[in-house]
Amino acid sequence: MASFDAVNYSLRPSKAIQRQLVFEGIRKLHERLRLSDSVYVGLGSVWFTDFVLAHEILNINDMISMEVDDIGFARAKFNAPYATVQVRKGSSTDTLPELLADRYINKRPWVVWLDYDGGFDEGLMDDVKLIVENVPSNSTFLITFNAHEMNYGNAKERPERIRQLFGDTVPDNLSKKKCKTPRLRHTLAGFAVDFMKSVAATGRRKEAFVDTVQIVYQDGAPMVTVGGMLAAPETVNKIRDAAGNAGWRCRPERVIRAPHLTIREALALQAMLPSEDSLNRDNVQEAGFDLKVEQIEIYEEYYREYPKFAEVRT
Amino acid sequence: MSDITAKKAKASPTKEFFVNMITRDITLEDSILDLIDNSIDAAWQMAGSHAMTLGDDTDLSAFKITLTLSEDQFTISDNCGGMTLDNAVDHAFSFGRKASQEREEFSIGVYGIGMKRAVFKLGKNVRVRSQFRGDNGSPLSFAVPINVTDWLADERPSWDFDIVEDDVRSEYGVVIIVNELTWPAKTAFGNPAFVENLRRMIARDYSLHLGRGLKIEVGDEQIIGANLELAMSEDFSPMRISYEDKQDGESVSIEMLGGMAAPPPDSVEPDDRFDGDKRFGWYVACNGRIVMAADKSSIAGWGTKDWPQWHRQYAGFIGIVLFSASNTAALPLTTTKRSVDQSSDVYRSAQLKMRDLSKVWIAYTNQRKQALEEAKRKEAAARAVPISLVEVKPAIALPSLNVQRVERPANVHYSVPVQRMKRLARALGNINLTYREVGVRSFEYTYDDFVGDE
Ligand SMILES: Nc1ncnc2c1ncn2[C@@H]1O[C@H](COP(=O)(O)OP(=O)(O)OP(=O)(O)O)[C@@H](O)[C@H]1O
Ligand SMILES: [Mg+2]
Repeated sequence: MASFDAVNYSLRPSKAIQRQLVFEGIRKLHERLRLSDSVYVGLGSVWFTDFVLAHEILNINDMISMEVDDIGFARAKFNAPYATVQVRKGSSTDTLPELLADRYINKRPWVVWLDYDGGFDEGLMDDVKLIVENVPSNSTFLITFNAHEMNYGNAKERPERIRQLFGDTVPDNLSKKKCKTPRLRHTLAGFAVDFMKSVAATGRRKEAFVDTVQIVYQDGAPMVTVGGMLAAPETVNKIRDAAGNAGWRCRPERVIRAPHLTIREALALQAMLPSEDSLNRDNVQEAGFDLKVEQIEIYEEYYREYPKFAEVRT
Repeated sequence: MSDITAKKAKASPTKEFFVNMITRDITLEDSILDLIDNSIDAAWQMAGSHAMTLGDDTDLSAFKITLTLSEDQFTISDNCGGMTLDNAVDHAFSFGRKASQEREEFSIGVYGIGMKRAVFKLGKNVRVRSQFRGDNGSPLSFAVPINVTDWLADERPSWDFDIVEDDVRSEYGVVIIVNELTWPAKTAFGNPAFVENLRRMIARDYSLHLGRGLKIEVGDEQIIGANLELAMSEDFSPMRISYEDKQDGESVSIEMLGGMAAPPPDSVEPDDRFDGDKRFGWYVACNGRIVMAADKSSIAGWGTKDWPQWHRQYAGFIGIVLFSASNTAALPLTTTKRSVDQSSDVYRSAQLKMRDLSKVWIAYTNQRKQALEEAKRKEAAARAVPISLVEVKPAIALPSLNVQRVERPANVHYSVPVQRMKRLARALGNINLTYREVGVRSFEYTYDDFVGDE
């Protein structure tokens, strides 16, 4: 199912939070490395939410969206949010090689985000190889995929399936437990990062893959976003420093599972923040409604990234 | 005119040339194994130095070797007794063993180059630390710091390294720390696939030591030795023999085993199975260290005189040869310990036996094509036994099969997008079915629907 047919696309608060975190993270790294004139490559669908953020937060003008579906392509062209957004007809696997060969963009840093709804599979694996081996120096590369168990066969088959997908980095004695909820999502995230690193190290390029992003979020199915930069040798340490300090928010330990709040609820909570002591259930009840502790904690942590309802245009 | 015969044409090598030469033909992995070999030699000596036969039950569980690999540093440390100061002064750091040097009993080390070559391969800033039990029973410590760049730049004739005092540690053993890693080491250690493959290699090449309790840790993960197993049943029994031989007058003991480790594949076309036939083929160990694993090449002998080339059809077979000698120089080792010396006499005579055994297996895999169901049934009934428990038997036994003429087959080959194939595999009950199995099952399914019983 293509994502433009998914219901309530704009009402996925966890996804929205995740996206904000990632773009803010990329902005910090771009500033630190003084990168400019970047190119954004993504799967804009008909919503182009990530393209809007790439333009607003990263100041990127040249943006390319890939769309394989006929109707999706017509709709995408109609919905392209800026004059500088180009929509290319074709699958990522067919389109990426053309883009990588395009002399107008292939010397500039890219931000590529392959944001899929489905599980990690052979198609994504090929795209990852292609990108990691060929994307210009100092590009950022992110993938998002579905981490629900059933995308990877049943419990018994899963370790072998995962070995097939991620290759040598997966130990021969991978346990079934690591391939089950709740650990599976972290297992997959870890192997996806390892896979990207090993593709970069095995190829002939001088850039190393430095991972910066590892986020699990959940609106419906658990989703994993991982990524990093193909760092020229002299930039490796700068990236590691920036992505290793306490203020770096693209590697949260816990799953981002944001509550679906009404506008009134969100505004009521927001009015209590920022606060020295963390919000608790009593505070919420005093305000006149109620939430689970985990929901309160997540909201407090991410209220600045929580979608504003005025933004439904995206 | 001056006296020409009093002059000498200088021939001593530059250090730089020498270092380039010795590090050239060895891989990073094999260099690391060289350092592990040294720790194991020290442990083996502590455990009494005797032949590493399959039946031997030396307990190595007191010994531990720990490796850490990061993009900035490599370390290996052991608690295997350490090297003595005398050894460091006279032998350990010289390039190549002196003829006078006593031969360690049943060791892996023999050439006197491994440690030096390994540290040069790894980095530019090296510190070898050792703590050993002094003559009076108390701990003594020293270190040999090597700044490779300075050492190379120093043109004076002396090649010696300084020895310095060092802090006392809690264990007797050697620690080697390498900083300022070479570019290949840096890249490899940042590559999770490299590290995982190194673990696999250690699990395989030291499986005989790990099976005797030795502990090896790579980056906080303890390595579990690979199990070499052969199948046994009424119909199947592996060969297991042992004999003595001589290499340049030195005695060498040989043990040889071989048989079915897993049923051969149904199809000879390479399929999508992840593991394929990686485990199968010939293994050779020298004083316990596996130096050749799962060989399917002419080094074992495949494709040489009177011995067919390896073919996927032969998968399922494993053969093992263990050579041991108190004088390691008599073993068919290469300097990198990653292969066997094919010119060795003991190896050449072993090869004849290896060939004969392989050929019996080859004949079986040919025959089973004509009695596939029966063969599969019998193969499935066999159970895996660790090689040390395989009974002594002068020849391999394989089932005799009721060979029937097969109907003429039609071979089918077609391509579909891999995602659809995987989806169908999942619907048929197992996402990991081989493409071939998916093909056969969909054929059977359709046949049943459209043709049914005749
Ligand atoms: N971990 C260790 N514990 C005790 N002694 C050691 C250790 N590592 C090295 N040595 C000493 O250093 C010597 C030199 O090691 P090196 O690996 O260079 O050569 P070798 O092991 O003798 O031969 P080869 O080149 O075949 O490995 C060893 O023979 C051993 O005496
Ligand atoms: Mg050695």
